[in-house]
Amino acid sequence: MQLELPDRDYMFPGHVACPGCGAAVAMRFLLKALGEKTVMVIPACCWSIIAGAYPQSTLKIPVLHTAFETGGAVASGVRAALDMRGDTQTTVVAWAGDGGTFDIGFQALSGAVERNEDFIYVCYDNEAYMNTGIQRSSSTPYGAWTTTTPGRDWKKMRKKNIVEALVAHRIPYAATASIAYPEDLFRKVAKAKAIKGARFLHIFASCPTGWRIPSEISVKIARMAVQTNIFPLYEVEDGLRYTINFFPKGYLVKEYFRLQGRFKHLSEQDLDQIQTMVEEDWKLLRHKAGMS
Amino acid sequence: MKNSTPPFVAHSFRTTEGNKTGSWRFLRPRYDEKTAPCAAACPAGEDIARIEMLTSQGLFKEAWETILMENPLPAVCGRVCLRPCESRCNRREFDEAIAIRAIERFLADTASRDELKPSLERFASRKQRIAVVGAGPSGLAAAFFLSRLGYGCDLFESAPEPGGVLRYGIPSYRLPAAILAAEIEQVAGSGFRLYCEKPVTKALFEQIGNDYDAVFLGCGRSRSVGLLIEGEEPGEVEDGFEFLRRINRGESPAFSNAQVAIIGGGNTAVDAARTVLRLGGKPVLIYRRRREDMPAFEEEISMALEEGVRLLELWTPLRMERKEGRYLLTLQQMRAFDTAPGQKSRVEPAEPRSTMELSVIHILKAVGLEAAEEWQNPPENSEKILRLSDSVLVRSPSIVIHGGDLASRIRSVSHAVASGKEAAIALDILFQKGPDEVLPGLESCRVGNGPALSLEMYMRGPRCARNPHVVVFDEINRDHFQFAARLVQPRLLAEERSRGFAEIDLRISAGLAMKEAERCFNCGLCNQCDNCRLYCPDLAVVRQTDSSARSIDYDYCKGCGICVVECPRNAMSLEKESAPRAQR
Repeated sequence: MQLELPDRDYMFPGHVACPGCGAAVAMRFLLKALGEKTVMVIPACCWSIIAGAYPQSTLKIPVLHTAFETGGAVASGVRAALDMRGDTQTTVVAWAGDGGTFDIGFQALSGAVERNEDFIYVCYDNEAYMNTGIQRSSSTPYGAWTTTTPGRDWKKMRKKNIVEALVAHRIPYAATASIAYPEDLFRKVAKAKAIKGARFLHIFASCPTGWRIPSEISVKIARMAVQTNIFPLYEVEDGLRYTINFFPKGYLVKEYFRLQGRFKHLSEQDLDQIQTMVEEDWKLLRHKAGMS
Repeated sequence: MKNSTPPFVAHSFRTTEGNKTGSWRFLRPRYDEKTAPCAAACPAGEDIARIEMLTSQGLFKEAWETILMENPLPAVCGRVCLRPCESRCNRREFDEAIAIRAIERFLADTASRDELKPSLERFASRKQRIAVVGAGPSGLAAAFFLSRLGYGCDLFESAPEPGGVLRYGIPSYRLPAAILAAEIEQVAGSGFRLYCEKPVTKALFEQIGNDYDAVFLGCGRSRSVGLLIEGEEPGEVEDGFEFLRRINRGESPAFSNAQVAIIGGGNTAVDAARTVLRLGGKPVLIYRRRREDMPAFEEEISMALEEGVRLLELWTPLRMERKEGRYLLTLQQMRAFDTAPGQKSRVEPAEPRSTMELSVIHILKAVGLEAAEEWQNPPENSEKILRLSDSVLVRSPSIVIHGGDLASRIRSVSHAVASGKEAAIALDILFQKGPDEVLPGLESCRVGNGPALSLEMYMRGPRCARNPHVVVFDEINRDHFQFAARLVQPRLLAEERSRGFAEIDLRISAGLAMKEAERCFNCGLCNQCDNCRLYCPDLAVVRQTDSSARSIDYDYCKGCGICVVECPRNAMSLEKESAPRAQR
């Protein structure tokens, strides 16, 4: 019954994330798996704030705060610098939000993984530009309200499938993970840490503030995203070998949508259409995993 | 440039611990252990969710002591209890109820095999002495609880051996005599004195009323309700309970493959039928209503049928005649009406009238029992009488408390235990605080506001801190549980059973018991799963270094409430922050 995770934390309390922040939970789990020999690169994102205003830092590991579009490039540089010093033990991690990954940092990320740079790139995905005031990103899902897709102009484009974009680079390891499945997340981080080359983790991290949900269901909603197949848990090795880690019991997506204020304008027909889209994506994923 | 200085970069040198983010909080999570539905349903108020938790951790002695805190007879109740707990188990709505009774039996058998001695809390000695009449389940329980509350107790039993209905009314294939004897010896270790073959007559009862400060009467029912069949001489047809008593005393009449009629549909009738079968007879069970109306346990009925007991449902005896050393029973067919589901049907003779004849060598009647003597019944309501849940307290002319089958709401072993406990607590309140405090005192130790009482709560143990709210299924976070099949009780095969009186339900291994106990939701109880600490975004749940308990660091807790939702078993609560906010 008890989850098997190490006791040690690499974070201090007193950070300034919103109550119920999924990204804070994600960071805790990530560092439990990575340990203290880690250097982290954080381009502009919620975590630029959460980690603390100067001169504070909430993390017990070295962190470089960098410009929005440079996560992939700075991480490449840090890795090169450590290599020059002969340090092969330290893991370099880029920790970026969905804006810094899907949109603004995509060029640097794509370039770095194309060169198969030796670091782990982690995108904690809260599905919009949350700390600047909930603007839509290319990660914002179909149907969502944001401050830039307000009222009837809710987002009518699908969420970019970032894992598939990274898989297309044929990198050694790419995986999705969720804060609601800590053991799965921990295992994937530990696995990524042991692999050399470019590794990509897509962590689903709920945002009570931007999703308009009560903070206490923050982890529950992340679990529901997995249970409804909206965010399937899977991993891809060498851009080819797909493994699906979790097979849901087939909950309906509307259960997940109904709990969130950002989707409250959607009609039954819209929800039915989203159900169809989710099933289509799931079918495609099963096909790639050789299960169709 | 050689030896150039690195570019100036702002470099943090302080942690965020100075930010007391607890000042943001407007909701406050806290640990708030609640009451499990099984515990509230248990007549003896056993702390079942905790018993399962300890069992799953392999702490068998502690689990056994947790039972003994509330019930002195786990080896008995682990075999013959009606299991009201299992019918209220929240896990039923998920997959199947926990096999609570089987685990109780396992714990009792393990303690007995390992010759464990329980260490149970008890009060200092009191000056009052109390007589207990009848060493059945209620009398044993009363003597056990009174001893633990500090009273000197003398227990009087008319039969040669203690146990009452347990010893003489339940066949050994359900409750072996050796198991019962060992359990009673264990119970007697609590310190009371037991006098067997000491029948209490009305005159003696009046005398001990003067000699002792109080008397507990747990006489039970042992006299057959005298319903005569047409053609029957009084005393000619043996009572089923009397028959079981005869067998349990060691007699073994041979029925040499002849038919025996048993009239009735309760557990005594079914037990008598199965006993006849084991003695080589061909039992025919005759019941006037339908099988589903029979008061006997369904499981016992189906096992009886498997073994070869013949059931004639919707037949009633019309008359009996003697013929060549046998009896000829004429039966009348009945028709059921008013057959609402879940209710006992009513019956009337079927039209057109139809009868059948049955030739048998023996007839047993098990249609009900009453008190052996009229004075044993609790008096009707009047002043100076306090009708409690499972007992009746009379304060004049001397203090007598009626318990057991004659005073309980429901006739079962666990209700008898409940009755003995209620009487012991009521007497203690009466002696220590006076008659006006009895009712409020009993209220203060109810489990989940139900009828069951907890001795641990009466003794102001840790269980008092529990919220009486009974956890319902929707308050369990099922995301943290997986489907798992219920333990399958290993049993003798039907053909093995009918050959003798060996116990039908076999022992389960420690591994099976732990696996089954692990299925328990532990509704309302913290089992140290650590989810609250693990999922906290603010590292505000702290594990104590000296114990496994957790606490919330309100300096940093922002009140998001994730811990409360992710608690699988509703052992936490989230409330509006009422205290003045922490200083920023």
